[in-house]
Order: sequence, then C-alpha cells, then structure tokens
Amino acid sequence: MWVIVGLALVSSALIVAWPPAPREGSPFWIYNDVHRTTYEPFIAAWNRRHPDKAVDLILLHQTALERRLLSGFLSGTPVADLVELERAQAARAFAGPLSQVGFHDLTDRVHEEGLYDRINAPTWTPWISRGRVFGIPHDMNPVLLAYRADIIEAAGIDLPAQVETWDDFYRVLRPLMQDLDGDGRHDRFLLNGSTNNELFLEIILRQAGGRFFDDEERLCFNDPVNARTLAHITTWLTGPRRMCTDAPEYSAAGHKMRLDGTVLCAVIPDWMTGQWKRELPGLSGKLKLMPVPAFTRGGRRTSVYGGSMIGVTKTAPDFEAAWDFANALYMSPESAEVLYRGTGIVSPVKELWSLPIYHQPDPYFCGQPAGALFIAQAPDIPLRTASSYERIAIERLLTVATLLVAYADREQKFTVDELVPEAQRLLDIEHAAIDAQMKRNVFLQE
Amino acid sequence: MSSSRNKSLARATHPAWTPWFFLAPFLAITAIFVVWPLGGSLVLSFQQTFGPEATKVVGWDNFKFLLRDPLFWKAVRNTTLYATGSVLLQLPLALLLALALNHPRLRGRTLFRLLFFLPSLVGLIFAGVVFSLVLETRTGLLNHSLHALIPAFDPEFPWLSRYPMAALLLSALWLYVGFNMIYFLAALQSVPRDLLEAASIDGASAWQRFRHVILPEITPVTHFVVLLSLVGSFQMFELSWVLFNNTTGPNDGGLTIVMYLYRTGFIVGDLGYASAVGWVLALLLISFSWLQRRLRVRSAEGGVA
Repeated sequence: MWVIVGLALVSSALIVAWPPAPREGSPFWIYNDVHRTTYEPFIAAWNRRHPDKAVDLILLHQTALERRLLSGFLSGTPVADLVELERAQAARAFAGPLSQVGFHDLTDRVHEEGLYDRINAPTWTPWISRGRVFGIPHDMNPVLLAYRADIIEAAGIDLPAQVETWDDFYRVLRPLMQDLDGDGRHDRFLLNGSTNNELFLEIILRQAGGRFFDDEERLCFNDPVNARTLAHITTWLTGPRRMCTDAPEYSAAGHKMRLDGTVLCAVIPDWMTGQWKRELPGLSGKLKLMPVPAFTRGGRRTSVYGGSMIGVTKTAPDFEAAWDFANALYMSPESAEVLYRGTGIVSPVKELWSLPIYHQPDPYFCGQPAGALFIAQAPDIPLRTASSYERIAIERLLTVATLLVAYADREQKFTVDELVPEAQRLLDIEHAAIDAQMKRNVFLQE
Repeated sequence: MSSSRNKSLARATHPAWTPWFFLAPFLAITAIFVVWPLGGSLVLSFQQTFGPEATKVVGWDNFKFLLRDPLFWKAVRNTTLYATGSVLLQLPLALLLALALNHPRLRGRTLFRLLFFLPSLVGLIFAGVVFSLVLETRTGLLNHSLHALIPAFDPEFPWLSRYPMAALLLSALWLYVGFNMIYFLAALQSVPRDLLEAASIDGASAWQRFRHVILPEITPVTHFVVLLSLVGSFQMFELSWVLFNNTTGPNDGGLTIVMYLYRTGFIVGDLGYASAVGWVLALLLISFSWLQRRLRVRSAEGGVA
C-alpha cells in the first residue's frame, strides 16, 4: 500500500513541479488551415523583425477554438492574446453585458488611428455589438455569379450583356434547361440552390434587402421583404419556373455536378473562388464571373456571406504588441497579396484595392480580373449584425423555405404573389418563436 | 476467543479506513468530475446565462419556458419516435440475426458475425456521413441506382427532406443491429442445451422451443438491450447532426432533445436553459429505467406465481 502512496505522491509532485513549455511568442489562435498557410510566411518574417513581439500561430478546429475561448472567458483559463474568429462564433463571443465581453473594445482605437475609414464601411458591421467594435475585419466577402462560360457562350449567350435581373436570367438561360439523357427529366439546371442550402438562401435574402435584425439588433425576421424574397426563391425551386437544383457545397457530389455541367451558375463569395481552385481544378478556364442579377433593374448586384475578424483578448499581457501585429497582418499589402493568392479573399482595406494582383487576369476565370470584379461590388455589400440569435434565425429560415416549397407543391401555387401570404404566415410563426426566446433573455431587456 | 484474536489481528493489519483509502481516488474523481458538475448544472438550471459571465437567477422560468416551447415538444416527439422505432426495428432484427448466426449448421458463421458487427466499430459520425452521401439527391447511391434500374424514378427524390426520421432510423439500424446482435448471440449461447433437447424430445416445435424456452432464458438480456437502446436513443445527437448537415433537418425533422439542448446552450449561449433541458432529459431517462425495472420485477413475479 505504501508503495502506491509513494508513487502517487511522487507523480503528483512531478506534475506540479513540471515547468510549462516556454511561450514562443504571443499565442494567436486561428481556425482555418488555408489562413494558416497564408499567414506562416508573414509571421516568420514578423518574428525575425520583431523578436520582442513574436507571435505563435496555433491552428485549432473551429469548434475547439470557440469552446476554449468561451471557457477561457468564463473561467479564466488561458486564452490566446490574438484570436481570429468566424462570424457566428464572434457573435456568441460578444454576447452578454458589454463590460464582460472578453475582447478589447477597439472602438476608440480604430477611429483614432483612422482604421475605420480605411476599411470598407459595410464590412465592419458583423464585428460591432451595441455600437462597440471588437474586431478588425479580415475580409469583406462580396458575392458574384459564377457561370459556366464554356457551355453558356457555346449556346451564343453573352450573359453579362443580356442579363441584369433574375427575370432576364431565367428568360435568357431557360433554353439551356435540358433533358440530356432522354428520360423526360431535366439534367441541367441554371442555378445551384435548395431549401437546405444555407449559403444560397442567405445570399439571395440579403441581396434582396432582407434581414433578420435591424440596425438596433432588434428582431425583424418577419420583414415583408423576407416574405417576398422567399416567395421568389420558391418559384426557382419548384413548379413551372423551376431553375435550381441542389449541388451541395463542400461535397464531392456537388463538385461532380459542377464539373458535369448539371448546374450552370452559382452565387459565390470571394473566398469560394479559392476553394474551387483547390477542389475543382477541372473547371479552370470554363468559368466566368459577373455581378449577381438584381431583383429589379438598377437594384443591388451583390450580396455577402461569411467573414472573419481578429480580436485582442483582455488577458493579452501586451495589448500594444498584439495590436501592432493585428494591424500589420490585416493591413499590409504583402499580407493581402499572399491572402488573395492563397484563398481568393479580397482585402477590405480600400487603399489596397489598387494592388496589381487584384487586376491581373485570372486563368481560372477565363482571364477575368476576379479580384477587381469583387472589389467593384464592395460598397454595395449588405449590412449585417452581430446577434448570437442570428444562427437560430438562419435555422428558422431553412425551415420556412422547406415548408413554403412543400406548400407550393401541395397547393399548386407557383407565382410570387400567390406564395407571399403563406411565406408571411410562416415567417410570423417563426418570428414569434425567436422573439419569445429573445424576450425571456433578461440581459437583453436591461 | 480465537475468533476475537483473529479480528483484532485483522484490525491491526487492515485498519478500518483501508477500504476507504483504496476507494478514495474513485470517490475523489467522481466527486470532482461527476457530482460537482451535476450540482453545478442543477444550480445553473435555475439561472439564465448570456455570454461567458452574465448569470441571473430566474427560478423555475427555464422549466416553464421549456414546457411552453413547441420546438422542445417537437424534439421530444422526434426523439420518442426515434427511440420507439429503434427498439421496434433494431431489436427484433438483431434477435433474428442472432438466431440465424447461432445455427450450428450455418457455414461461415464467424465471418457473418464479423460482417454484421463491423458497422458498429465505425461510429455515429461515419454512419452519418455515409448515409448523407447514399441518400443525396441525384448523385446519391440510392437515387442513382434506382434511376438506373427504373428510368421513371426521379433521381432528385429528396429522401432526407421527405423522410428524415426514416433516414435516421435506417442509419441507426445499419450501425447498431450488429452490436445488439452480439448481446443476443451471447444470451442464446448461454441457453442450457439440455432444456432445448428436453423440449425437442417432448415434441416441441421450433416456434414452441423459441417461445417457451429460448425467450424466457434470454429475457434478462433483452431487458438490458431494450434499456440500452432507449437510453442511447434519447441521447442521440451526432448522427442526426451529421446526417442533416449540422442543422435540425428539414422542418426540424431531425431535431432531438440533445440537439435542442446543444442549440440553446452552445449556439444561443444560454447554458442555464440548456441545463434545464438536460435535467428534464435525465428525469425522462430515470423514469424509463424505473418503469422498465418495475415491468421486469412484475413479469418475474408473474413467472414465479
């Protein structure tokens, strides 16, 4: 027995006395492996130039990063000095009274140093909670329409010249919805979209001016614009004017459909161009980009989806060093160039938009300057908010879309005007459910 | 005299605190990692949280809201449906398989046992990913094959959207039927051979031997497997989460109680409310266990009578 006791005491003493691994610099947590590969050369150079402000890049799984961060904020366990967060995670990290948010409030700093004006204005909004800025935007995620130029142009269609609105889009491309194998069913569709495609639904909703929360972060899920947009989308998904099929993002099945030309067009944010280049090299030289067709002539030709920020945690021992690094990483031309080259992400820093790399012909997109095309849409990016209830709102949006398509099929109603009342009714129900959750949040009532 | 001397000798070599000393690590770990968090979550279930630090005592409000929330009841309905479906589909099939693979004249029994058991080694996430690919519209294996066999079949038939619960049950069936089969197989192999032989000599048919000899003998294992299936079903999260691409499924068709808990606790950030959901789930599971125990005792008493 005394041997066991002795072993226990010795091992406990060893664990207590074991020195922690020395820090190689300020820890910087990120969640994206592609970002890691683009940051590594920059950080290596930074650490050589600034050994006193060295940064230690640590890649974590997105969920692990969020759990460790929130647990750290809650219990005081160590968190990184610098953290790169995705939009939904950031909204959750900003929850609670402002004084208890674990990130430094950067509002005064970004205004004093002119950072606020140097970055594309609509891009700030997801990182602002109750008027306070908690992060510097990493990207701005404008959306364009990517289309199979090889197939569409072979049919004699000049899409950018002939299409301004979604109605034009359907009219011009409708002849390409074809039955290729003679089984009486369409094998080619015009647009990638479905009721379970969150990216598609959110992009189209925001493009149309729809939103979940107003500028004051109050719920407006049942906004009439949302109802009308969902009715529009439903006519694309079912009935005689159907033009969409489901080619899932991030999946081999969806990629095969894109390669086969089963789906001709998709709405994609800038970061997805990098992803397609990595995962769909077979589409190189077959795709082109153009502004998203508007709902009405002269209407918005873009949307937004995704986004990341960098924030400095309150536990960072040297705020100034962390701030300097964050600034250099996100604001420097070298970093922006590496980021664009590696990911297709365009910097939100306006003065960098003139960098030659954004204006060079991109062979993947038939020689179009993809960066410049995204930049042209930057000022029109829809505004967003940083509510921790947004994730729930998006989930409910998928439910409403599913129910509305089922309603259209059941009632054989396939026009926008016929579908709007039901869309509004469904949105009202879900609005009430989200509202009930928000209203019982005593902290939001304070 | 000798006995009292032995006792005092035992006390001298093994003091009264010796068992407690050996139990101490287990008790300490249980207290720190089980009892304390449980107590904490019970306290939390009467609070509301928002963000990392903000908490406020709200009394029974979390439980009251829970009982009023239609989405919670949808989660309860889905989970109950899934649990019932799991028990009614998986267990009879597992028993049938076990009976077949227990047959002495079946060749390649070991191979079949291995084949049926293999899926349970890969885990829920794998099963979710595989079935989401199989049931995919247009490019999924099922639709692709059906369309190739029957050209009139719509290759875009949305199995996951149209039949989310069936998709869940099918994936779980593939995953767990072999696992449950192993329990039944072990139980079948422990049925006394002489009982079966005696029944055969008495002229009992195969069905009569199964009904009156095998079934009563494997009843304790059956109760155990039913309980295991029910508890596992009520805790179901990953399979549905992966199958429906990190959502609650079309029209919340894949929403389970644990998913509801996760959604409120880790997506909205209200850990107090999530704790309340967790305690309601715990009470549900305790009730099931108690009910099942009562039924078992009653059936055993009936058997004795």
